[in-house]
Amino acid sequence: MAKKRRLISQVSYGMLLPAFLLYTGFVIVPALSSFYYSLTSWDGLSNMMPFIGLRNYMDMFHDIRFFTAVKNTMFIAIAATILENAVALGLALLVDRIKIFKSFFRSVFYIPVLLSGIITGFIWSVMMNYSFGVINQFFAMIHLDILRLNWLGDPKIALISILLTMIWKGAGYYMIIYLAGLQGIPQEILEASRIDGASGLQQFRFITFPMLAGAVTINMTLSLIGGLKVFDQVAVMTDGGPGFATETIAYQIFKVAFADSKQGYGTAVAVMLFAITLVFSAIQLALLRKREVEL
Amino acid sequence: MGTTIDLKQPFDEKRIGKTHDILLVILVAFLAALFFYPVYFSIISAFKTQGEIMRDAMAFPSALRLDNFIYLWNETRFPQAVVMSAFLTVTSTCLMILVIPMAAYVIERRNSKLTGLIYIFFISGMMIPFQAYMIPLFRQLKWLHLFGTVWGPIVVYISGATAFGTLLFTSFIKGIPREIEESAAIDGCSSFNTFWQIVFPLLKPCTASMVILQGLGIWNDFLMPLLVLPSDQAKTINVEIYSFVSELATRWDVLFAGSFCSMIPIILIFGFLQKYFVKGITAGTVKG
Repeated sequence: MAKKRRLISQVSYGMLLPAFLLYTGFVIVPALSSFYYSLTSWDGLSNMMPFIGLRNYMDMFHDIRFFTAVKNTMFIAIAATILENAVALGLALLVDRIKIFKSFFRSVFYIPVLLSGIITGFIWSVMMNYSFGVINQFFAMIHLDILRLNWLGDPKIALISILLTMIWKGAGYYMIIYLAGLQGIPQEILEASRIDGASGLQQFRFITFPMLAGAVTINMTLSLIGGLKVFDQVAVMTDGGPGFATETIAYQIFKVAFADSKQGYGTAVAVMLFAITLVFSAIQLALLRKREVEL
Repeated sequence: MGTTIDLKQPFDEKRIGKTHDILLVILVAFLAALFFYPVYFSIISAFKTQGEIMRDAMAFPSALRLDNFIYLWNETRFPQAVVMSAFLTVTSTCLMILVIPMAAYVIERRNSKLTGLIYIFFISGMMIPFQAYMIPLFRQLKWLHLFGTVWGPIVVYISGATAFGTLLFTSFIKGIPREIEESAAIDGCSSFNTFWQIVFPLLKPCTASMVILQGLGIWNDFLMPLLVLPSDQAKTINVEIYSFVSELATRWDVLFAGSFCSMIPIILIFGFLQKYFVKGITAGTVKG
């Protein structure tokens, strides 16, 4: 036995090397060099990378455009996390209950997940078009003209329109994870509680939801990270506009670095995105884990 | 006394249950129709003229027109973009499968302090958003003469998939008994050969999930191909669609035809390989 263990532990480290080198070289090294790049005024083209200390960060903290992006990103991330999960859980509970066409309906809700951010953004931007879009046409048809909004042109609504598109695209993914979680709940427990006279709501509150704690944690984490880096929909639906009203941090990095050729400054914004992602995920994980233990 | 009630109850419940079931199916069907509507809308629009889309967006196309597709095929760089998307997707996923499962195998089977650290090191990559390191990454690609070539995105895709792939494959390899590998080792088979000849074939379902999920991500990716691919030729489908949006602002008809070409292959693949999608998504998450 001891000999066998030794033999198996001789799996060669060499087999780990290609993945290790690629990952280190093309993820970790650039991620770490970001900190240095953010201290320069590099323009993206020249060989010179003038070191300017913390000036990019000082500029950033005096820039209203940066704070708009932070506010937008936080709004989208938090709202998307809550709403995507609410929709996904609702769909999962419904699909789990029905007895026929279960896998058919599951697939239909999953289809939007298959489409790219660019294509979903394009489809919705046409549907949300003020003059020709189906959404306003529909509201006109049912005489609800108050809801005929300028979905992408009004700075107060445009961000919500992007959020709607994200929820539509994302919910199906989280639904699959909730469905798998629901299948893991032993029928006997639900049966027993029903005999004891628990209502459907009580069953959900005291059995189903607590037993989905693991799925909730993973879904909340994934949807938060997804929300924090939303890019494609912004690019195709609003281009960050009107003005900078819908610019997210990820989109601002792109704009600043590649349209304005301020790559040093762009990297400083990128470092902030990284920091915000870390802090948000850490807080969220701590909260969710605590909840899991309490349940 | 109690027994009579117990006997009756199931019957009543069954009847209530039946209407309940039907209402539930109707509700789900309604929601499904709502969810599917944008996809339906984009499909019908691909066969309409620009004028038809603007005049009555909800209406069904007046005829099965293929003009939008013909325009796309003859007048734009779209065909080359389809080839580029397919090439990037296939090459990157194949190379990923050469590199990542092997690494996960070492991490799982060695199970030492060092591999434990490497595991955490790899997994932490899931927390780093691409935009957070793309600027230094592009400069590095320039140094290595990978920027402006098709190999740039491929290398970045493989590297970027390491985190997710390690998570997926280690959890799967854990469930595979060691006995066969041990006897192979006794017979003098190297760990490299043992892996490829004995373990890798057992990983098929996991490999399928990885290929499908990563392939989907690459097929749908936008930002990296936009910036890294050579600028003098067609990029990927998504990049072409994006540039149509800014250049041909009013040609929605052509854009819908392009979207159609991008989504139909993946919806078909999904139809055939559904279970691998589900497995890939739920692997390592339910236990989590």
